Amino acid sequence: MKRSRFPFVVTAVVLVFFYLPILILVIESFNASRFGGAWRGFSFVWYFRLFHEPAIWLAARNTLLIAVSVTFVSLILGTTSALALHRFAKSRLQRFHYTLIYTPLVVPEILMGISLLMAFVAAGIRLGMMTIVLAHVTFCISYVALTVLGRLQDFDFTIVEAARDLGATGWTATRRVLLPMLAPGLAAAGLIAFTLSMDDFVITFFVAGPGAETLPLHVYSMIKHGATPLINALSTLLLALTFTTIFISQRLSKSGAMEGGQ
Amino acid sequence: MNMHTMGKFAFSVAVAAAVLGAAACGGGAKGPSILHVYTWSDYIKPELITRFETENDCKVVIDTFDSNEAMYAKLKAGATGYDVIVPTSYMVSLMKSQDMILPLDHSLLPNLVHVDPDYLAIAIDKKMEYSAPYMLTNTGIAYLKSKVKNFEPTWAMFDRTDLKGRMVMLNDMRETIGGALKYLGYSLNSVNPAELEKAKDVVLGWKKNLAKFENEQYKTGIASGEFLLVHGYSGDILQVQAENDDIAFAMPREGGVISCDDLVIAKSAKEVKLAHAFINFLHIPDVAAQNTDFIQYLCPNKDAYPLMSEKIRGNAGIFLAPEIRAKCEILADLGANNALYVKVWDEIKAGK
Repeated sequence: MKRSRFPFVVTAVVLVFFYLPILILVIESFNASRFGGAWRGFSFVWYFRLFHEPAIWLAARNTLLIAVSVTFVSLILGTTSALALHRFAKSRLQRFHYTLIYTPLVVPEILMGISLLMAFVAAGIRLGMMTIVLAHVTFCISYVALTVLGRLQDFDFTIVEAARDLGATGWTATRRVLLPMLAPGLAAAGLIAFTLSMDDFVITFFVAGPGAETLPLHVYSMIKHGATPLINALSTLLLALTFTTIFISQRLSKSGAMEGGQ
Repeated sequence: MNMHTMGKFAFSVAVAAAVLGAAACGGGAKGPSILHVYTWSDYIKPELITRFETENDCKVVIDTFDSNEAMYAKLKAGATGYDVIVPTSYMVSLMKSQDMILPLDHSLLPNLVHVDPDYLAIAIDKKMEYSAPYMLTNTGIAYLKSKVKNFEPTWAMFDRTDLKGRMVMLNDMRETIGGALKYLGYSLNSVNPAELEKAKDVVLGWKKNLAKFENEQYKTGIASGEFLLVHGYSGDILQVQAENDDIAFAMPREGGVISCDDLVIAKSAKEVKLAHAFINFLHIPDVAAQNTDFIQYLCPNKDAYPLMSEKIRGNAGIFLAPEIRAKCEILADLGANNALYVKVWDEIKAGK
């Protein structure tokens, strides 16, 4: 029986539709022309220009600082809440907790941005890097908690119990048994939090304070008034970074899944 | 369970450390005073910032926004910490009516004597009570010299059937209806329904010859020769001209839109004195000239004009002839009357 080629064609078309624009952006980043209209030769000029823009590098530094802090804080909070959700899945309190964890995924970003800004203003918190970190943590916790919760579904808790039977304290069992076994899931969750924090625009725009400009904020304002090819070059670098992190995270979850299956 | 509580304690310490660490990085506000400027990106020559910092022993921190509306929404929701803001004129009126900006203290702004009186004649804030002009852009017509025969600087170009399908006008109701109003000899801030009705018919006539109404792609379109004549902003066109010298820019002789981004001081500003010093600094003729040469927008500072490069002075798209400039207008905030334009624009978009 001959296999239909239809699924293959559909897949190919969908992939082209998804990735062609990205490919064009990458190609344009090497175009010497300032406007994407015509090809004016291969050039690294936009990459060189990019390295001489202090404002961009300051924004990049801010973005990375924020992303690292957010990853760290939301990993801890998200993992503990996933443990609670898993352990007491039947309790009414935890079901309410689950709804709370789930909500940030469905609330529109603009609503979250404005309400966070109003909350910060009402509480008299000075806007700055700190407020961006807090805002990002509020939605990253959800992604971390749900990712880790997924890993916990097929986690064999008898191993932790065995460790306790053999005399390990609760802390030792957590540190030496639970965390190492959860590590691939934690790494995947951390990378998700990191990427989400890196490219958030809407919420960041509202809660950013003076002097705490992040890359996405800078890029948006450049589109309005600045040189477009710089953005192409910057996006290409970001793409490379994002794809690498996603790739690593997938590898980690895959190897984790294999270990779990054994 | 003692160790268990220890674990929790260690977690909270780690959380606190991470949060405090981030806070410390963001809030290094000790030392010399800091001026916070909220503006568009790439809108000032970097060397001038350094010069201002040395002269005033301060630090300037620039944050950027990408639209007047987003900036307004953010400040309106209560965001503070910005001293000098650079909104467009119509937004200045709105911010003033919402009590979001401070009146300017002219005793701290001696350099405002250099501001071009011809510009002030058409400005919204003629006495500069709340705002000082920063940079001007013109909306006019760009065309390919080799392809458009018998070009005339007039809005009537959009009637030319030989260019049918190769022309683009801005997808902006105030700009495009404004062009038609000017063509008919009316004010482009007109709120007279009869005048708007006539303008609608004019735009509907032009629409037959247009490829589309569009705001961004027209730049690449004219650079690649896909479009022969476009309605566009001088700042954009200048960038395209740098690559394709077949492109020329002209202001219609009936007049058109001039937009101005203004310097204002936020009500919540902490460095009010320094903010005044900054505005005053930007209007030193030599500074204004350097700034204009660099960012290619025109600072309306009459004593800076002679100091500007030949490239800027010789460009009729930036440096308008006095008789044309006198016919140009600034888009004013129309408040509730904006609905009149929305209605006409909807009819134009739907009409044939």
